[in-house]
Amino acid sequence: MFCSVVQARELCAGVSSLWLEAPETTRRVKPGQFLNVRVSNGLDPLLRRPISVCDVERSRVRLVFRVVGRGTAMLARVRAGDELDVLGPLGRPAPEMRHKDITLCGGGIGTAPLLFLARRISRANRVQVVLGARTKSELLLVREFRSLGVPVSLATDDGSVGHQGMVTELAEAAVRRNTSDTRHSTIDNPQSSGAVFACGPRPMLADLVKRLDPIPVFGFVEERMGCGTGICYCCALPKKGGGHVRFCEEGPVVRLNEAVL
Amino acid sequence: MNPKVILGQTAFVNPVLAASGTFEFGLKFKSVANRLGGVVTKAITLQPRVGNPPPRIWEFAGGVINSVGLENPGLEKFCNDVVPLTSKLLCRVVVNIAGFTVDEYGELAARLESESIDALEVNVSCPNVKEGGALFGQQPSVVEAITALVRRRTTRTVIVKLTANFVDPVETAKAAEAAGADAVTLINTLFGLALDGNGRPFLGGRNGGVSGPALKPFALYCVDRVAAAVKIPVIGCGGIMSATDALDFLSAGARMVQVGTANLVNPEAALNVWNGMKEHARRNRWSNWDTVVGRIRRQD
Repeated sequence: MFCSVVQARELCAGVSSLWLEAPETTRRVKPGQFLNVRVSNGLDPLLRRPISVCDVERSRVRLVFRVVGRGTAMLARVRAGDELDVLGPLGRPAPEMRHKDITLCGGGIGTAPLLFLARRISRANRVQVVLGARTKSELLLVREFRSLGVPVSLATDDGSVGHQGMVTELAEAAVRRNTSDTRHSTIDNPQSSGAVFACGPRPMLADLVKRLDPIPVFGFVEERMGCGTGICYCCALPKKGGGHVRFCEEGPVVRLNEAVL
Repeated sequence: MNPKVILGQTAFVNPVLAASGTFEFGLKFKSVANRLGGVVTKAITLQPRVGNPPPRIWEFAGGVINSVGLENPGLEKFCNDVVPLTSKLLCRVVVNIAGFTVDEYGELAARLESESIDALEVNVSCPNVKEGGALFGQQPSVVEAITALVRRRTTRTVIVKLTANFVDPVETAKAAEAAGADAVTLINTLFGLALDGNGRPFLGGRNGGVSGPALKPFALYCVDRVAAAVKIPVIGCGGIMSATDALDFLSAGARMVQVGTANLVNPEAALNVWNGMKEHARRNRWSNWDTVVGRIRRQD
């Protein structure tokens, strides 16, 4: 499927935002899903780049990504009016929920997919958002989260804004505030009251799981994939007790407590 | 134009197959699978395998290196859960089997004899396992022994998938032919090593198998040599991204082709290859593939 780029801009050094005209995708896409984007019309780079959907507005879908290599660098050079070859939406949507206390914890570029989730769940649930980055200028999408009317707390490594320290410290405090008056358990359990969704670097996810154990944490896994469609078995997240989660198909939102991070 | 190809006792409606390991079991994209000649399944082993630790794929200018390590549900689960679904596909289903001893190939073939499948592709060439795998495929005598055993245990069409890693596939193809194979597939991935830029191996399985466009010239070279040396049909595989690539393999002597890595980029890739070939055949008014297959030798 080819989509036209309607807006392309850099949000901060090394982070780009693209709005694509993709009416078909916007009708079907759910939070947690991703698009698999070709960055070249030729054979190099060969593989698509999986990018989580950051937001949806009318017939447009937004992708926000960090330049991590040659492929994403090429994607960052895309301009309004260009066409992109896009596959998706792919992946299993984040579990749906209502009437719950939900904490969203985003670190760096991991903030991006949480915005779409927040937009979809903030009416039917009590949502609080904690976002972290190295420094103020690298905090992403804060204005967009605030416009949803949900409480947003910030953490930076250098203390240039918000809490100086790890975003996971804020997330833990936020979750503990909830659990003091309500009961947290697994979200498969209809009696449960809360859930935590997180996206960010692996060490951040591992730290969050450790802090909140045994409260389940749903993580958006950001990793290299082969096909993105579940046919090549190249993306594998080891599970505790053996085996792997194929996160393009069974994820990218996975129960982090069951994964080896 | 009659696009049909017959291997052993199996008639394929067209010469395009999805290669093993790159299309799972053909069930995720049935509308694509149904219009191909066939789907070759992920390799099936006797016991379930969790595969290699991640990361399992590395990209380079020219293709990818993978080290999936034969992750699969194992023979029993495959027969019970997967075959009932693949048997409903409209295309031919070729089951890729991988053993860690010679005898395991016999067991795999025997168990699959009662299943609703069309053919076996005997994998003597996986680069991503420590025992068996490509080591078997490097020894003509072992290829012959495995092929002969599978031949005895199955009435289905037997295809042997050969490696070109440190072995002349002409020798192993002759061994497969002598032992009763109906066809050979070549080439499987080539050995490869990816480093992370900091002096460490990148892939969780350390070594991997190289696939993609970079393989095509060498794969064509192998197909050309093998097709001239054996009478059984050759299935060409290695870096096919387009109909032109596929027709090159036919020109070099292949009767059929397998599309592999291209499926990772576009799940409709194999179908696009077939549609392109069909269009090319129509424009050139070919009545069947004989006009094309091996035509480079006829010019020598």
